[in-house]
Amino acid sequence: MALRARTRSARSLVVLLVLASLLTITVDYRQGQTGPLAGLGRVALAVITPLQDAVSKVIRPVGDFFSTLTRIPSIKQENERLREENQALRTSQIRISELETEVAQLQAIVGLVSTYNLPYQGARVIGSGVSNFEWSVTIDKGSDDGIRVDMPVVTGAGLVGRVVEVTGGSAKVMLILDTRSHVAARIVAPGLSQVTGDLQGQGPEDLDLDLVDPDVPIEAGATVVTAGYDGAVYPPSIPIGTVSRVVPDPTALDQLVTVRPFVDFSALDIVAVVLTPPSE
Amino acid sequence: MRRALSFAAVVLTALLLQSTLFAQVELGGAKPELIYLVTIVMAMLEGPASGAVAGFAGGMAQDFLLAQPKGITALTLTLLGYAVGLFRSYITSPSPLIPVFLVAGGTFVGILFYGLVSFLLGQFGLGLGYLLRVALLTALYNALLTPAFYPVIRRVAESSRATRVFRW
Repeated sequence: MALRARTRSARSLVVLLVLASLLTITVDYRQGQTGPLAGLGRVALAVITPLQDAVSKVIRPVGDFFSTLTRIPSIKQENERLREENQALRTSQIRISELETEVAQLQAIVGLVSTYNLPYQGARVIGSGVSNFEWSVTIDKGSDDGIRVDMPVVTGAGLVGRVVEVTGGSAKVMLILDTRSHVAARIVAPGLSQVTGDLQGQGPEDLDLDLVDPDVPIEAGATVVTAGYDGAVYPPSIPIGTVSRVVPDPTALDQLVTVRPFVDFSALDIVAVVLTPPSE
Repeated sequence: MRRALSFAAVVLTALLLQSTLFAQVELGGAKPELIYLVTIVMAMLEGPASGAVAGFAGGMAQDFLLAQPKGITALTLTLLGYAVGLFRSYITSPSPLIPVFLVAGGTFVGILFYGLVSFLLGQFGLGLGYLLRVALLTALYNALLTPAFYPVIRRVAESSRATRVFRW
């Protein structure tokens, strides 16, 4: 009997609760955000939010762990993507620093040739001499670009050499290092007016400057530039290098001076061919 | 009175955990529904009347934290608590897995019912496939959580039970 009464009371309780739920649904559904229930909801939210904050703070690590766990596939993908991006960025970083070097070289060249107001053609070194006894490079511009034999070649640092062979799209440049190379050179130093000589390549060694008047005192470190006689291959005053050694020889008719070039011939990349007018 | 307070504490704890910890746990687009679990376990332990009250209270509380038309969860859980409470008295198996299966089945049916009511009120526009998937996954997660929560709720229920012990 008691059990039945209990069952019945439970049933009516449920009916009551269901009705309350339905009433809530109806009222809330009809009134939306403006009704009294929405207000109650806001109150409930205001009450529970601080509690949620507190609990959140305590269990955040646990939640993070779970959400990380569930996001592992996407994290992997993201990792993959970032790796690729990183790779691409590194590549372009390298490219940028290469370009920066190139720009610096070009700026130097432009600085040099514009100082002397010379028309020029930029070119890239695409090969170097094959022989052990030949110091030359090949550049990627030729007669199609107005390049002819005997035109001087420079970088921003100074004189490189001269063109010795030309094809349509390329040219061979004999470096001033080559033992067959002769450059009319001038030593620039305070107090010296016209100390000139014949600068001859010595291969891997510093260049020799011959035919220097033995009576002129020359100091190491003095700058050597092209002499630029009329009709010479090289225009005047292009920097070549510095005097590295002076060997006085009282018995000789001249003194030996060695010259270390400004140009780093082991790292030639961009050069400029000076478009001198054809010598008659 | 003490009983009501401890149950309120259980419901509130479940609600807080649900809205903080389990709100972040989303596996396959679904998360556990602690209030369902609590309602079902309470109904199991305490019978249909307590189940219905717990469901109503917990559902109402959750409804007021959601922006949807309030009362749908309350309606669902009231009926769910009552039904599970009734259903429990027909189960004679002593298997310790009974709570797990009851939670799984109850959650599944409850979520479906919730979806149905939402749909009838024009509040559910995600399709039956989605609803079924969410119901299945939620049931699974709740079932997995049952071994952790069942003993706790049973302790609270037993410690607060009046001296007048009543068993079916």
